[in-house]
Amino acid sequence: MDKKKQKGILMLAVRAGNIMMKSGAEIYRVEDTIERICKSCGIEHVDVFATPTGIFVSTDNEESTNTVTNIKRVRSSETDLTKISRVNQFSRSFTTTDMTVEEGMEILDDIENSKPYPFWIRALSAAMVTACFSVIFGGNAMEFCVTVIVGLMCYIISRFLEKYEINFFIRGFCCCAFAAFCSLLAASSISGVSYAPVISGCIMLFVPGIPITNSIRDFLSGNMLSGVARLTEACIISVSLAAGAGVVIKLWYMLGGIAL
Amino acid sequence: MMHLFTQFLLALFATLGFAVIFRVPARHIPACVVAGALGWITYLISDYSMGSPVMGCFFGACMVGLCSWIAARLFKEAMTIFVIPGILCLVPGAKIFYTMEALLKNDIENMAQIGVQTLMMAGAIAMGLLVIGAIIKVFWALIHKTVTIKDKF
Repeated sequence: MDKKKQKGILMLAVRAGNIMMKSGAEIYRVEDTIERICKSCGIEHVDVFATPTGIFVSTDNEESTNTVTNIKRVRSSETDLTKISRVNQFSRSFTTTDMTVEEGMEILDDIENSKPYPFWIRALSAAMVTACFSVIFGGNAMEFCVTVIVGLMCYIISRFLEKYEINFFIRGFCCCAFAAFCSLLAASSISGVSYAPVISGCIMLFVPGIPITNSIRDFLSGNMLSGVARLTEACIISVSLAAGAGVVIKLWYMLGGIAL
Repeated sequence: MMHLFTQFLLALFATLGFAVIFRVPARHIPACVVAGALGWITYLISDYSMGSPVMGCFFGACMVGLCSWIAARLFKEAMTIFVIPGILCLVPGAKIFYTMEALLKNDIENMAQIGVQTLMMAGAIAMGLLVIGAIIKVFWALIHKTVTIKDKF
Protein backbone atom coordinates (compact mmCIF):
# COMPACT_ATOMS: atom_id res chain seq x y z
CA MET A 1 0.00 0.00 0.00
CA ASP A 2 1.50 3.34 -0.93
CA LYS A 3 1.76 6.18 1.47
CA LYS A 4 -0.72 8.36 -0.36
CA LYS A 5 -3.49 5.81 -0.15
CA GLN A 6 -2.76 5.19 3.51
CA LYS A 7 -3.03 8.92 4.16
CA GLY A 8 -6.35 9.14 2.29
CA ILE A 9 -7.89 6.38 4.37
CA LEU A 10 -6.59 7.94 7.57
CA MET A 11 -8.07 11.32 6.64
CA LEU A 12 -11.45 9.71 5.96
CA ALA A 13 -11.44 7.84 9.25
CA VAL A 14 -10.42 10.91 11.25
CA ARG A 15 -13.10 12.98 9.54
CA ALA A 16 -15.79 10.45 10.44
CA GLY A 17 -14.53 10.41 14.02
CA ASN A 18 -14.46 14.20 14.16
CA ILE A 19 -18.09 14.51 13.05
CA MET A 20 -19.16 11.98 15.67
CA MET A 21 -17.20 13.60 18.48
CA LYS A 22 -18.54 17.05 17.60
CA SER A 23 -22.11 15.80 17.66
CA GLY A 24 -21.75 14.33 21.12
CA ALA A 25 -20.85 10.66 20.71
CA GLU A 26 -19.04 8.74 23.42
CA ILE A 27 -15.31 8.02 23.11
CA TYR A 28 -15.68 4.29 22.64
CA ARG A 29 -17.81 4.74 19.53
CA VAL A 30 -15.40 7.23 17.95
CA GLU A 31 -12.34 5.07 18.55
CA ASP A 32 -14.15 1.99 17.32
CA THR A 33 -15.35 3.68 14.12
CA ILE A 34 -11.90 4.98 13.22
CA GLU A 35 -10.29 1.63 13.89
CA ARG A 36 -12.86 -0.28 11.83
CA ILE A 37 -12.58 2.04 8.85
CA CYS A 38 -8.77 1.80 8.82
CA LYS A 39 -8.69 -1.97 9.32
CA SER A 40 -11.25 -2.62 6.58
CA CYS A 41 -8.90 -0.97 4.08
CA GLY A 42 -6.04 -3.24 5.01
CA ILE A 43 -4.06 -1.10 7.42
CA GLU A 44 -2.80 -3.60 9.96
CA HIS A 45 -1.77 -1.49 12.91
CA VAL A 46 -4.09 1.28 14.03
CA ASP A 47 -3.96 3.04 17.35
CA VAL A 48 -6.53 5.65 18.27
CA PHE A 49 -6.58 7.89 21.28
CA ALA A 50 -9.61 10.14 21.44
CA THR A 51 -10.57 12.77 23.99
CA PRO A 52 -13.49 15.23 23.80
CA THR A 53 -11.11 17.91 22.52
CA GLY A 54 -8.83 15.97 20.20
CA ILE A 55 -8.35 12.78 18.21
CA PHE A 56 -4.92 11.20 17.74
CA VAL A 57 -4.54 8.40 15.22
CA SER A 58 -1.43 6.59 14.16
CA THR A 59 -1.36 3.95 11.42
CA ASP A 60 1.41 1.62 10.42
CA ASN A 61 1.80 -0.93 7.68
CA GLU A 62 4.18 -3.84 7.32
CA GLU A 63 4.97 -2.95 3.70
CA SER A 64 5.52 0.78 4.01
CA THR A 65 8.42 2.21 5.91
CA ASN A 66 6.63 5.17 7.40
CA THR A 67 4.06 5.60 10.11
CA VAL A 68 1.24 7.98 9.17
CA THR A 69 -0.14 9.97 12.06
CA ASN A 70 -2.86 12.57 12.32
CA ILE A 71 -3.84 14.83 15.17
CA LYS A 72 -7.24 16.45 14.92
CA ARG A 73 -8.38 19.18 17.25
CA VAL A 74 -12.11 18.78 17.91
CA ARG A 75 -14.14 21.93 18.41
CA SER A 76 -17.37 20.90 20.00
CA SER A 77 -20.59 22.15 18.43
CA GLU A 78 -24.28 21.37 18.80
CA THR A 79 -25.44 17.91 19.80
CA ASP A 80 -26.83 16.29 16.69
CA LEU A 81 -27.89 12.69 17.10
CA THR A 82 -28.82 12.29 13.44
CA LYS A 83 -25.19 12.87 12.47
CA ILE A 84 -24.05 10.18 14.91
CA SER A 85 -26.60 7.77 13.52
CA ARG A 86 -25.67 8.51 9.92
CA VAL A 87 -21.91 8.23 10.45
CA ASN A 88 -22.60 4.95 12.22
CA GLN A 89 -24.47 3.64 9.20
CA PHE A 90 -21.79 5.03 6.92
CA SER A 91 -19.01 3.19 8.72
CA ARG A 92 -21.04 -0.02 8.57
CA SER A 93 -21.56 0.27 4.83
CA PHE A 94 -18.00 1.46 4.19
CA THR A 95 -16.48 -1.54 5.93
CA THR A 96 -18.78 -4.10 4.31
CA THR A 97 -18.88 -2.81 0.72
CA ASP A 98 -15.97 -1.78 -1.52
CA MET A 99 -16.65 1.94 -1.44
CA THR A 100 -13.76 4.13 -2.53
CA VAL A 101 -12.27 6.82 -0.29
CA GLU A 102 -13.54 9.60 -2.59
CA GLU A 103 -17.09 8.32 -2.44
CA GLY A 104 -16.78 8.05 1.32
CA MET A 105 -15.59 11.65 1.56
CA GLU A 106 -18.60 12.81 -0.46
CA ILE A 107 -21.00 11.05 1.89
CA LEU A 108 -19.24 12.55 4.91
CA ASP A 109 -19.48 16.00 3.29
CA ASP A 110 -23.19 15.47 2.90
CA ILE A 111 -23.55 14.37 6.53
CA GLU A 112 -21.50 17.26 7.88
CA ASN A 113 -23.52 19.85 5.94
CA SER A 114 -26.91 18.45 6.88
CA LYS A 115 -29.03 20.99 8.68
CA PRO A 116 -30.86 20.53 12.00
CA TYR A 117 -34.64 20.85 12.25
CA PRO A 118 -35.84 24.37 11.32
CA PHE A 119 -35.23 27.01 13.97
CA TRP A 120 -38.89 27.73 14.73
CA ILE A 121 -39.63 24.05 15.35
CA ARG A 122 -36.69 23.83 17.76
CA ALA A 123 -37.76 27.02 19.52
CA LEU A 124 -41.31 25.71 19.91
CA SER A 125 -40.00 22.41 21.29
CA ALA A 126 -37.88 24.33 23.76
CA ALA A 127 -41.02 26.16 24.89
CA MET A 128 -42.81 22.83 25.18
CA VAL A 129 -40.00 21.31 27.25
CA THR A 130 -39.89 24.18 29.73
CA ALA A 131 -43.68 24.38 30.03
CA CYS A 132 -44.06 20.63 30.62
CA PHE A 133 -41.38 20.70 33.30
CA SER A 134 -42.93 23.69 35.05
CA VAL A 135 -46.13 21.63 35.47
CA ILE A 136 -44.16 18.53 36.51
CA PHE A 137 -42.51 20.63 39.23
CA GLY A 138 -45.91 21.69 40.58
CA GLY A 139 -46.93 24.63 38.42
CA ASN A 140 -50.53 25.56 37.57
CA ALA A 141 -52.12 26.56 34.27
CA MET A 142 -51.09 30.20 34.61
CA GLU A 143 -47.47 29.26 35.26
CA PHE A 144 -47.62 26.94 32.25
CA CYS A 145 -48.52 29.91 30.01
CA VAL A 146 -45.81 32.13 31.49
CA THR A 147 -43.19 29.40 31.08
CA VAL A 148 -44.04 28.87 27.42
CA ILE A 149 -43.10 32.48 26.71
CA VAL A 150 -40.07 32.61 29.01
CA GLY A 151 -38.75 29.26 27.72
CA LEU A 152 -39.12 30.38 24.13
CA MET A 153 -37.20 33.59 24.77
CA CYS A 154 -34.51 31.74 26.75
CA TYR A 155 -33.89 29.37 23.86
CA ILE A 156 -33.69 32.23 21.37
CA ILE A 157 -31.20 34.07 23.60
CA SER A 158 -29.14 30.92 23.98
CA ARG A 159 -28.97 30.47 20.19
CA PHE A 160 -28.12 34.14 19.75
CA LEU A 161 -25.22 33.92 22.21
CA GLU A 162 -24.00 30.72 20.60
CA LYS A 163 -23.92 32.41 17.21
CA TYR A 164 -21.41 34.90 18.60
CA GLU A 165 -19.33 32.09 20.13
CA ILE A 166 -19.89 33.04 23.74
CA ASN A 167 -18.65 30.17 25.92
CA PHE A 168 -21.03 27.74 27.58
CA PHE A 169 -20.52 29.07 31.10
CA ILE A 170 -21.58 32.61 30.22
CA ARG A 171 -24.38 31.27 28.05
CA GLY A 172 -25.91 29.21 30.83
CA PHE A 173 -25.44 32.08 33.25
CA CYS A 174 -27.14 34.64 30.99
CA CYS A 175 -30.04 32.40 30.02
CA CYS A 176 -30.83 31.48 33.60
CA ALA A 177 -30.45 35.07 34.75
CA PHE A 178 -32.92 36.10 32.07
CA ALA A 179 -35.32 33.30 33.02
CA ALA A 180 -35.12 34.33 36.67
CA PHE A 181 -35.74 37.99 35.82
CA CYS A 182 -38.77 37.21 33.66
CA SER A 183 -40.30 34.85 36.18
CA LEU A 184 -39.81 37.32 39.03
CA LEU A 185 -41.43 39.99 36.89
CA ALA A 186 -44.34 37.68 36.14
CA ALA A 187 -44.63 36.59 39.76
CA SER A 188 -44.86 40.16 40.99
CA SER A 189 -47.28 41.38 38.33
CA ILE A 190 -49.61 38.41 37.78
CA SER A 191 -51.41 36.97 40.77
CA GLY A 192 -51.31 33.20 41.18
CA VAL A 193 -47.88 32.86 39.60
CA SER A 194 -44.91 31.89 41.73
CA TYR A 195 -41.39 32.06 40.39
CA ALA A 196 -40.05 28.63 41.45
CA PRO A 197 -41.76 26.38 38.83
CA VAL A 198 -41.03 28.83 36.05
CA ILE A 199 -37.30 29.05 36.83
CA SER A 200 -36.89 25.31 37.41
CA GLY A 201 -38.67 24.62 34.13
CA CYS A 202 -36.29 26.90 32.28
CA ILE A 203 -33.25 25.40 34.03
CA MET A 204 -34.23 21.97 32.69
CA LEU A 205 -33.62 23.22 29.17
CA PHE A 206 -29.93 23.86 29.91
CA VAL A 207 -29.27 21.01 32.33
CA PRO A 208 -26.10 19.04 31.45
CA GLY A 209 -27.72 15.71 30.65
CA ILE A 210 -25.42 14.84 27.78
CA PRO A 211 -22.11 15.35 29.63
CA ILE A 212 -23.42 13.26 32.55
CA THR A 213 -24.58 10.36 30.36
CA ASN A 214 -21.48 10.41 28.19
CA SER A 215 -19.10 10.68 31.11
CA ILE A 216 -20.57 7.51 32.63
CA ARG A 217 -20.31 5.64 29.39
CA ASP A 218 -16.71 6.82 29.02
CA PHE A 219 -15.84 5.66 32.51
CA LEU A 220 -17.46 2.31 31.75
CA SER A 221 -15.39 1.77 28.65
CA GLY A 222 -12.20 2.69 30.52
CA ASN A 223 -11.64 6.19 29.11
CA MET A 224 -10.95 7.82 32.46
CA LEU A 225 -9.58 11.05 31.03
CA SER A 226 -12.70 11.87 29.03
CA GLY A 227 -14.93 10.66 31.83
CA VAL A 228 -13.38 13.14 34.24
CA ALA A 229 -13.38 15.93 31.63
CA ARG A 230 -17.07 15.53 30.91
CA LEU A 231 -17.99 15.18 34.56
CA THR A 232 -16.22 18.47 35.25
CA GLU A 233 -18.08 20.05 32.35
CA ALA A 234 -21.38 18.90 33.87
CA CYS A 235 -20.45 20.39 37.26
CA ILE A 236 -19.42 23.72 35.75
CA ILE A 237 -22.63 23.98 33.73
CA SER A 238 -24.75 23.24 36.82
CA VAL A 239 -22.89 25.90 38.80
CA SER A 240 -23.37 28.45 36.00
CA LEU A 241 -27.11 27.76 35.89
CA ALA A 242 -27.55 28.06 39.64
CA ALA A 243 -25.36 31.18 39.78
CA GLY A 244 -27.28 32.91 36.98
CA ALA A 245 -30.64 32.42 38.64
CA GLY A 246 -29.22 33.12 42.10
CA VAL A 247 -27.61 36.45 41.28
CA VAL A 248 -30.82 37.84 39.79
CA ILE A 249 -33.04 36.65 42.65
CA LYS A 250 -30.63 38.14 45.20
CA LEU A 251 -30.46 41.47 43.34
CA TRP A 252 -34.24 41.59 43.01
CA TYR A 253 -34.55 41.03 46.73
CA MET A 254 -31.92 43.62 47.61
CA LEU A 255 -33.52 46.23 45.36
CA GLY A 256 -36.78 45.81 47.24
CA GLY A 257 -38.78 43.43 45.13
CA ILE A 258 -40.57 40.48 46.63
CA ALA A 259 -39.35 38.83 49.80
CA LEU A 260 -37.47 35.56 49.42
CA MET B 1 -53.97 7.02 38.50
CA MET B 2 -55.15 10.18 36.79
CA HIS B 3 -52.15 11.96 38.23
CA LEU B 4 -49.78 9.32 36.81
CA PHE B 5 -51.42 9.61 33.40
CA THR B 6 -50.99 13.39 33.33
CA GLN B 7 -47.37 13.01 34.38
CA PHE B 8 -46.85 10.41 31.66
CA LEU B 9 -48.18 12.80 29.03
CA LEU B 10 -46.08 15.68 30.35
CA ALA B 11 -42.91 13.56 30.32
CA LEU B 12 -43.83 12.38 26.83
CA PHE B 13 -44.02 15.92 25.50
CA ALA B 14 -40.92 17.04 27.38
CA THR B 15 -38.90 14.18 25.87
CA LEU B 16 -40.36 14.95 22.46
CA GLY B 17 -39.06 18.49 22.81
CA PHE B 18 -35.58 17.30 23.75
CA ALA B 19 -35.63 14.82 20.89
CA VAL B 20 -36.31 17.63 18.42
CA ILE B 21 -33.69 19.95 19.94
CA PHE B 22 -31.02 17.25 19.82
CA ARG B 23 -32.19 16.17 16.38
CA VAL B 24 -33.05 12.54 16.88
CA PRO B 25 -33.74 11.03 13.43
CA ALA B 26 -37.47 11.48 12.82
CA ARG B 27 -38.23 7.76 12.50
CA HIS B 28 -36.76 7.04 15.94
CA ILE B 29 -38.56 9.81 17.83
CA PRO B 30 -41.52 7.60 18.96
CA ALA B 31 -39.28 4.97 20.55
CA CYS B 32 -37.16 7.60 22.23
CA VAL B 33 -40.21 9.45 23.58
CA VAL B 34 -41.68 6.25 25.04
CA ALA B 35 -38.35 5.43 26.73
CA GLY B 36 -38.27 8.86 28.36
CA ALA B 37 -41.87 8.75 29.54
CA LEU B 38 -41.56 5.21 30.92
CA GLY B 39 -38.39 6.26 32.75
CA TRP B 40 -40.21 9.17 34.37
CA ILE B 41 -43.17 6.97 35.40
CA THR B 42 -40.76 4.45 36.93
CA TYR B 43 -39.14 7.32 38.81
CA LEU B 44 -42.52 8.49 40.17
CA ILE B 45 -43.67 5.02 41.20
CA SER B 46 -40.43 4.02 42.92
CA ASP B 47 -40.13 7.45 44.52
CA TYR B 48 -43.67 7.04 45.89
CA SER B 49 -43.30 3.45 47.06
CA MET B 50 -39.82 3.80 48.56
CA GLY B 51 -40.02 7.39 49.66
CA SER B 52 -36.65 8.33 48.20
CA PRO B 53 -36.06 10.28 44.98
CA VAL B 54 -32.56 8.81 44.83
CA MET B 55 -33.93 5.29 44.42
CA GLY B 56 -36.45 6.74 41.98
CA CYS B 57 -33.65 8.10 39.82
CA PHE B 58 -31.84 4.78 39.99
CA PHE B 59 -34.80 2.73 38.76
CA GLY B 60 -35.83 5.43 36.29
CA ALA B 61 -32.36 5.36 34.73
CA CYS B 62 -32.49 1.54 34.64
CA MET B 63 -35.80 1.74 32.78
CA VAL B 64 -34.50 4.28 30.27
CA GLY B 65 -31.38 2.16 29.73
CA LEU B 66 -33.42 -0.99 29.17
CA CYS B 67 -35.87 0.65 26.75
CA SER B 68 -33.03 2.30 24.83
CA TRP B 69 -31.15 -0.95 24.57
CA ILE B 70 -34.20 -2.74 23.20
CA ALA B 71 -34.84 0.08 20.72
CA ALA B 72 -31.16 0.14 19.71
CA ARG B 73 -31.22 -3.61 19.03
CA LEU B 74 -34.51 -3.38 17.19
CA PHE B 75 -33.48 -0.57 14.86
CA LYS B 76 -29.75 -1.42 14.73
CA GLU B 77 -28.81 2.06 15.92
CA ALA B 78 -26.44 3.57 18.44
CA MET B 79 -27.88 3.40 21.95
CA THR B 80 -26.92 7.04 22.61
CA ILE B 81 -29.70 8.26 20.34
CA PHE B 82 -32.35 6.90 22.69
CA VAL B 83 -30.60 7.39 26.03
CA ILE B 84 -29.78 11.10 25.80
CA PRO B 85 -33.31 12.55 25.39
CA GLY B 86 -34.77 9.93 27.72
CA ILE B 87 -32.43 10.51 30.63
CA LEU B 88 -32.87 14.30 30.63
CA CYS B 89 -36.23 14.10 32.44
CA LEU B 90 -34.51 12.49 35.41
CA VAL B 91 -31.71 15.03 35.78
CA PRO B 92 -32.53 16.97 38.97
CA GLY B 93 -32.86 20.46 37.49
CA ALA B 94 -35.39 21.67 40.06
CA LYS B 95 -33.16 20.45 42.87
CA ILE B 96 -30.29 22.59 41.55
CA PHE B 97 -32.61 25.58 41.82
CA TYR B 98 -33.85 24.74 45.33
CA THR B 99 -30.26 24.26 46.55
CA MET B 100 -29.41 27.71 45.29
CA GLU B 101 -32.57 29.19 46.79
CA ALA B 102 -31.73 27.73 50.21
CA LEU B 103 -28.25 29.22 49.90
CA LEU B 104 -29.73 32.65 49.17
CA LYS B 105 -31.90 32.39 52.27
CA ASN B 106 -28.78 31.61 54.33
CA ASP B 107 -30.43 28.34 55.23
CA ILE B 108 -27.23 26.27 55.29
CA GLU B 109 -28.85 23.21 56.80
CA ASN B 110 -31.46 22.97 54.07
CA MET B 111 -28.91 23.78 51.41
CA ALA B 112 -26.64 20.94 52.50
CA GLN B 113 -29.55 18.55 52.62
CA ILE B 114 -30.95 19.38 49.18
CA GLY B 115 -27.46 19.75 47.69
CA VAL B 116 -26.39 16.30 48.84
CA GLN B 117 -29.65 14.90 47.53
CA THR B 118 -29.03 16.51 44.13
CA LEU B 119 -25.56 15.00 43.94
CA MET B 120 -26.88 11.61 45.01
CA MET B 121 -29.62 11.76 42.37
CA ALA B 122 -27.06 12.50 39.68
CA GLY B 123 -24.97 9.64 41.02
CA ALA B 124 -28.02 7.36 41.05
CA ILE B 125 -28.67 8.09 37.37
CA ALA B 126 -25.07 7.11 36.67
CA MET B 127 -25.39 3.95 38.77
CA GLY B 128 -28.67 3.03 37.08
CA LEU B 129 -27.18 3.25 33.60
CA LEU B 130 -24.08 1.40 34.77
CA VAL B 131 -25.97 -1.44 36.45
CA ILE B 132 -28.41 -1.95 33.61
CA GLY B 133 -25.52 -1.89 31.13
CA ALA B 134 -23.70 -4.58 33.09
CA ILE B 135 -26.82 -6.76 33.49
CA ILE B 136 -27.63 -6.54 29.80
CA LYS B 137 -24.07 -7.41 28.87
CA VAL B 138 -24.06 -10.50 31.08
CA PHE B 139 -27.48 -11.64 29.87
CA TRP B 140 -26.61 -11.08 26.26
CA ALA B 141 -23.38 -13.03 26.64
CA LEU B 142 -25.25 -15.89 28.34
CA ILE B 143 -27.91 -16.00 25.63
CA HIS B 144 -25.28 -16.00 22.92
CA LYS B 145 -23.35 -18.73 24.69
CA THR B 146 -26.34 -21.04 24.94
CA VAL B 147 -27.20 -20.40 21.32
CA THR B 148 -23.71 -21.21 20.12
CA ILE B 149 -23.54 -24.33 22.28
CA LYS B 150 -26.85 -25.50 20.80
CA ASP B 151 -25.46 -24.92 17.35
CA LYS B 152 -22.37 -26.95 18.12
CA PHE B 153 -24.16 -30.04 19.29
